Amino acid sequence: MRGPGVSLAGMSSPTPEVLALLDATVDAVVIMDDRGRITAFNRSAEEMFGYRAADAIGRNVSLLMTPADRAYHDSHLRNYLADGESRVLGRGRDVRVVHRDGSEFSVFLSVGRIPNTDPPLFVGHLHDTSLRRKALATLEKERQLNRLYLDLAQVMLVATDRTGIVRLVNQRAVRVLGKQSADIVGSSWVDNCVAPDDRALARAAFRTVVVRDDDEPQGCEYHVRSAAGEDRLITWRCVALRDTNDLATGVMLSGEDMTDQRRAENEAHRALERMNNVSRLATMGEMAAGISHELNQPLAAIANYAQACTRMIRSSTPDIPVIAGAIEQIAGQALRAGEIIKRIRSLVRNEDVRRETQDINGLIREVHALLASDARVHDGALALDLADELPSVTVDGVQIQQVLMNLVHNALEASREQGGTVFEVRIATRRVDSGDVEVSVSDLGPGLPRDTEDRIFEPFFTTKPTGTGLGLAISRSIIKAHDARLEYRANNPRGACFFFILPAAQETPR
Amino acid sequence: MKDSPQTVIVVDDDDAVRNSLRLLLKSAGINAEVEASAQDYLARYDATQGGCLLLDVRMPGMSGLELQQELNVRGATIPVIFITGNGDIPMAVEAMQHGAFDFLQKPFRDQDLLDRVQRALARDTENRARLRHTDRIRERLASLSPREREVLELVTQGKANKMVASDLGVSQRTVEIHRAHVMQKMEASSLAELVRMMMTIAPP
Repeated sequence: MRGPGVSLAGMSSPTPEVLALLDATVDAVVIMDDRGRITAFNRSAEEMFGYRAADAIGRNVSLLMTPADRAYHDSHLRNYLADGESRVLGRGRDVRVVHRDGSEFSVFLSVGRIPNTDPPLFVGHLHDTSLRRKALATLEKERQLNRLYLDLAQVMLVATDRTGIVRLVNQRAVRVLGKQSADIVGSSWVDNCVAPDDRALARAAFRTVVVRDDDEPQGCEYHVRSAAGEDRLITWRCVALRDTNDLATGVMLSGEDMTDQRRAENEAHRALERMNNVSRLATMGEMAAGISHELNQPLAAIANYAQACTRMIRSSTPDIPVIAGAIEQIAGQALRAGEIIKRIRSLVRNEDVRRETQDINGLIREVHALLASDARVHDGALALDLADELPSVTVDGVQIQQVLMNLVHNALEASREQGGTVFEVRIATRRVDSGDVEVSVSDLGPGLPRDTEDRIFEPFFTTKPTGTGLGLAISRSIIKAHDARLEYRANNPRGACFFFILPAAQETPR
Repeated sequence: MKDSPQTVIVVDDDDAVRNSLRLLLKSAGINAEVEASAQDYLARYDATQGGCLLLDVRMPGMSGLELQQELNVRGATIPVIFITGNGDIPMAVEAMQHGAFDFLQKPFRDQDLLDRVQRALARDTENRARLRHTDRIRERLASLSPREREVLELVTQGKANKMVASDLGVSQRTVEIHRAHVMQKMEASSLAELVRMMMTIAPP
């Protein structure tokens, strides 16, 4: 029964030559008989399973199997022996096997019947695939991880080829753009995703990156347009992707959505501006005092120099060079006074103000708290009498509020000097016959004496002991700049009333 | 009396105001100097310098009012005229309460300024003369012997020589000799003048 290639046939144990051959094989080789008992177990099998050949031989091959396979193995073997059909023989497959220490691992198993053996012997080749698997799994895991990093990134990541066709896009970019990844990948980045107005900019930035041969990231900023048609401002950093020959094969863009941040910055800026306005409102009196002090300086100097000149000219020995120097000083100080007046004018002029269509009652309510606390300081009360359904007015809100602050403050001071029992200042709005909006501030104080009515708006005219005489003058020029006129009338039943009529805005609301 | 010329010192942070005041004062024959800040003035402050101060109430750093208070602490007697702006009346009132000589509101007529300055300089002259007078009395007083000092005190209380002699347990003749020395050293021509001198230097 012996012959080449069938040296194992009918043998209970292999010859030394065969054993040496078997042991040289990298794959594990296990031979079993028709009852599933192991008859040969090579060196590689020993290493693979942790059993010595002496321990394995004679035992059922199910020793090496998982519990699940074990249950089927004997019946498969019996079926094969009975009708000669096998789903196993001649076909390689991946199976899980069990190490002596209990751990499972994968092998590629091919089983063959050794020809001319009866009862038959079967030889199994087991190729350890776990290393390959491990490498594959690691690779796959890495890919997933990269994908995860890509998607977890708080920045938009977009990779294009060198013609600008999108090759890869992360979750963040997908979300910002509001499109499916499939709608982005494969089409032109600039034409498909960038806001039309910014496309030239985006193309130029793209070209710069592709053409340049250093790897400095290129910064730029442009809007993308989402599927919903919303433009979002993105700050981009772009780097060229290069092949091994250092040729640019594409561009990687990482973009940060600045839209909300910009919005917040603008909002913060506006809040700061509002605060500045409030402090401007609160210190109008101080401002006027400062201006009058500043103006007083050159005026005092001019008076002093002029009077000194007069004296020197009248003296018996006038020192002409000294007098000439003094007159020069006079001219210089007069110019300085002019500069100060120019500055006051620019405070009032409307060069840098934004006129907006506004609800006058809203503007009044905004400063109400500030004014009410001013009233409390003066032991008075502030009443609002605001008409409903007023047309909008086109005004610089802050300036109008400034005027109101000034008028209310004057009214409070006038009422306090009166010392009356009824102490109320009233801000009222109403629609006048022309359709325009009248705003008035009235008090129950002493009102204005007849002879001062005409002079009250003149700069530096004041009836108050510590007044600067600038408040009403500035207020009037502010109102004048709004194509209206600040005027005075006696209040009914008594007191003063200052009012102005603002033209209704062109488009009437409601 | 006027050993050194009186000087008006102008302290104002505004160059033009300061220099124009100096020129105005000079045109009226008044010696004037300028300082740009309260600190600069304090740095050169000299108690023996006669004159007056023209002080701006509003100055950056140390204000005019603060300078006045510092001078009060130093026991300065120099008269201070404050120059105020339009809305500074409350400050002027405070300055007056702290012993300011006067105040002027900017801008002012030259005569108003010169009148006030002249009055302040006269006041300073008086102050200094009075100070010099009391200084001299103290000097003379210091030259008395302890016994002469005792005699002085008793006679200025109105005691006759006899009573002084019994109080001190010495002879009337001895008292007469001491008393003659006292009158001579104090440069007093009568008992009445001696009493006036003692009242001048008595602490208020």
